[in-house]
Amino acid sequence: MAGTSPRGGSAPPALSRRSVLQLGGIGAFLFATGACASGSGTDGSDDASPGASADTLRIAVSSYLSSWDQDFVGFDPVALMLYKNVFPYMIDYGVTEVDGSRILDTENVMATFAESFEPNADQTVWTLKLRQGVTFASGNEMTAADVKWSKDRAFAAQANVAGIYRTIGLTEPDQVTVVDDYTVQFTQAFPSALTRQIQAISLYVFDSEEAKKHATDADPWAAEWFANNAPTGGYFNVERAVQGQEIVLAANEQYPGPDPAQTKTIRISVVPAAANQRLQLEAGDIDVALGIGQRDIADLKNTDGVKVISAASNEQVAIQMSVTTAPFDNVDVRKALAHAVPYDQIINNVYGGDARPTKSLVPLDMPGYDERGYPYGYDPDAARAALAAAGVDQISSELVYATDNDTQQQIAVLVQSEARKVGIELELVPLDPATLAERRQQKNIPLQITAGQLWVNDVEYMLATSFVEGANLNYSNYVNPELEEIYERSHTVVDPAERNELWLRVQEILAADVPWVILCQPNFNLPVREAVSGWVQPMDGLARLRYLSASA
Amino acid sequence: MRIARFVARRLLQLVPVLLGVVVATFVLVRVLPGDPIRTILGPNATEAEAAAARARFGLDQPLWKQFLDYLGGLLTGDLGTSIQSGNAVAGELALRVGPTLQLVVLAVAVAVLIAVVGGIWSARRADRAADHGIRVLALIGNSVPEFWLGLVLVLVGYSMLGWFPAPSGRVDPDTNLTPITGAELIDAALTANGPAFTSALAHLALPVATLAIVVVAPLLRSVRASALEVLHSEAYTAAAAHGLRDRLLRRGYLVRSALVRLPSLAALVFGTAIGSTVLIEYVYSWQGFGQWALRGLLYRDFPVVQASVLLIAVCYVLVFLIADVVHAILDPRVKI
Repeated sequence: MAGTSPRGGSAPPALSRRSVLQLGGIGAFLFATGACASGSGTDGSDDASPGASADTLRIAVSSYLSSWDQDFVGFDPVALMLYKNVFPYMIDYGVTEVDGSRILDTENVMATFAESFEPNADQTVWTLKLRQGVTFASGNEMTAADVKWSKDRAFAAQANVAGIYRTIGLTEPDQVTVVDDYTVQFTQAFPSALTRQIQAISLYVFDSEEAKKHATDADPWAAEWFANNAPTGGYFNVERAVQGQEIVLAANEQYPGPDPAQTKTIRISVVPAAANQRLQLEAGDIDVALGIGQRDIADLKNTDGVKVISAASNEQVAIQMSVTTAPFDNVDVRKALAHAVPYDQIINNVYGGDARPTKSLVPLDMPGYDERGYPYGYDPDAARAALAAAGVDQISSELVYATDNDTQQQIAVLVQSEARKVGIELELVPLDPATLAERRQQKNIPLQITAGQLWVNDVEYMLATSFVEGANLNYSNYVNPELEEIYERSHTVVDPAERNELWLRVQEILAADVPWVILCQPNFNLPVREAVSGWVQPMDGLARLRYLSASA
Repeated sequence: MRIARFVARRLLQLVPVLLGVVVATFVLVRVLPGDPIRTILGPNATEAEAAAARARFGLDQPLWKQFLDYLGGLLTGDLGTSIQSGNAVAGELALRVGPTLQLVVLAVAVAVLIAVVGGIWSARRADRAADHGIRVLALIGNSVPEFWLGLVLVLVGYSMLGWFPAPSGRVDPDTNLTPITGAELIDAALTANGPAFTSALAHLALPVATLAIVVVAPLLRSVRASALEVLHSEAYTAAAAHGLRDRLLRRGYLVRSALVRLPSLAALVFGTAIGSTVLIEYVYSWQGFGQWALRGLLYRDFPVVQASVLLIAVCYVLVFLIADVVHAILDPRVKI
């Protein structure tokens, strides 16, 4: 073993210079580590668990927003939620109470930053009157010119707002006119019962004077500037935004309307991993966790200092079948799958019982919902009989779901297992977001799990987005001539009773054609520290932080 | 001068390599299934609106025109506009590359240090309990998934012991650090912001430890094997037999010879570490380059994917260049 043992010409002294250096290094390391720990006082658990202070709420979200520009942003739930709180929206939903939960009232759209928003007699011309003296953070007053500039910009963007405005007959910038400094008129091509709800989504306003300072010939709408600079004038102003880490919101003390912000400061930190959000909530480093999954929520229900707010949600989970693709182009095969799906098992095993079964493709709580809309339940014998009626005893298909969605994966596995028992063999295919978006656009997915909520709580909007020819969420390629007629008629029907008659017929048609297997409506669960109160369940999925309070 | 000429020659050789990367990335990202435009449009967008969005990002142009525009942009430092955010990719990249490089460089440096000290120490005690212990630790480090290791360190270091800050960011925002390079430690030092420096160090501790543990194993094993070779060599035996002092033996014969293979391996490990940051950034809410590149890939954000692949390629070639130079300095037999 020559050479493997240390040897030297002389024995080292008991405490050599090297030893002193080594000891010094270790000491320095320990000091540095201690410094690190103590220096992290505001974060570390020692003194970082004071609970919510009355003035400050700390909220964790899963990602930093991709852009501050609402007109050009992609689908980004965190960004859209923040916009709802920092852009001045002229009108918004009121609040109502259902089964002990406070929820946004989609049947009561009220003026907030605006003074009023009312139609003429035939409901084609809507007049928006602004409050006087409302200012942006720059000090510029919010006027009709800002509304006009903002809507012109939205039409020019040809993206989010322009798309949704079409459903109420607004397609050109010329349909938005300035009457005076505080009055704007929207002239629609036809009257629509959806106008208030569509405008609740779309009537956000930019500080146009400030924007014009940053516009260039190449960028007339100051898109580059808005992508990086937060809007102002909403319920909250953005006090600080540290890219990728934290956004600090300060209550807008100048807000003149109802329901001002209840908490002075909201600190929104970015914590992508749900497990970390859970740890920080338990430690009291955050007060509200907006990105925790079902499994962690179930555990948190028994954690000291934490409570889980549960509220009825309008999110629908469904399996869409392509009615133009074999084997689901046969209505009996679609009925077979509708009978093969283990609805109760999904609600109990995937959602821990925290979901509502539903009996219509029209969401629960939507005006016009009728239980006759989906007469199917788990019944393997009926499923086999339906397959026999279709003239087959064995079929196969792919079942597509989003690759990063654990819940959808669990549903897919359960459905695959039960469907196999009746002769329906499903291959599970997880797809990444871009591939999923492309295949959905090409409408070539025979069977896919979908989950989402309608931003407008109305069957006409549901038809527009999901069940008429060309509708973008109509992944089923479903077309029914009678449904198309009803949809056309509904544009100009504004009487609620008359609309409900139309919706009943819609549900009868959908029950017969069964383009979707409707699984359930999971409840919304929000884990918070015990001191947090005031949550209002948003029916569009975008939290209104102004209602949240840091004291019970 | 000889080294300067070598570096200049190698840098010139990078041009065709990077051009190849540019072409391959441009083509491959477009061959992948998936439509980036549809991921940014609202559900009610018509085909006309999709066409307008394509025109906005130049995706309505023929492929050759898109490529020439991209190449022209590269020459002027314009990496395009992110389809997801609408921001200039160069700006987004600049924001994210600093934090990630800081993490990777520190982790690899710590790993190299541990590997050199541990590997030589272990080799000098070959087949003893301490040696076996080191080897087993290296094996474990090599075997655990970084995601799991990160969560465990968070659970122990933050949740149970409370020694480290919450895994939500890179520095305490209340320290009001002015970003310059994006690497918080450097920025804090440049602006003489003591609290920010301490906070950045505290936030770095766990992610650097995670990454260093994950990448240290191959380095450690390489150094140990090299050191054993040297210790068993005739030259070393002869030197030892001539009664050279222990310090001279170690510094003059053992350490330098044992480290010859290390630069190349460290360069490889550097690449692995960049790949590993995707998960580590997720666990520690790091919001760096890895998460940005992954999101770009998932949503087929062409300019983001192109820029991130190009940057990784540049990092790779530069790190290997540095490795070759260091190798040449360590081993006089190498001609450059």
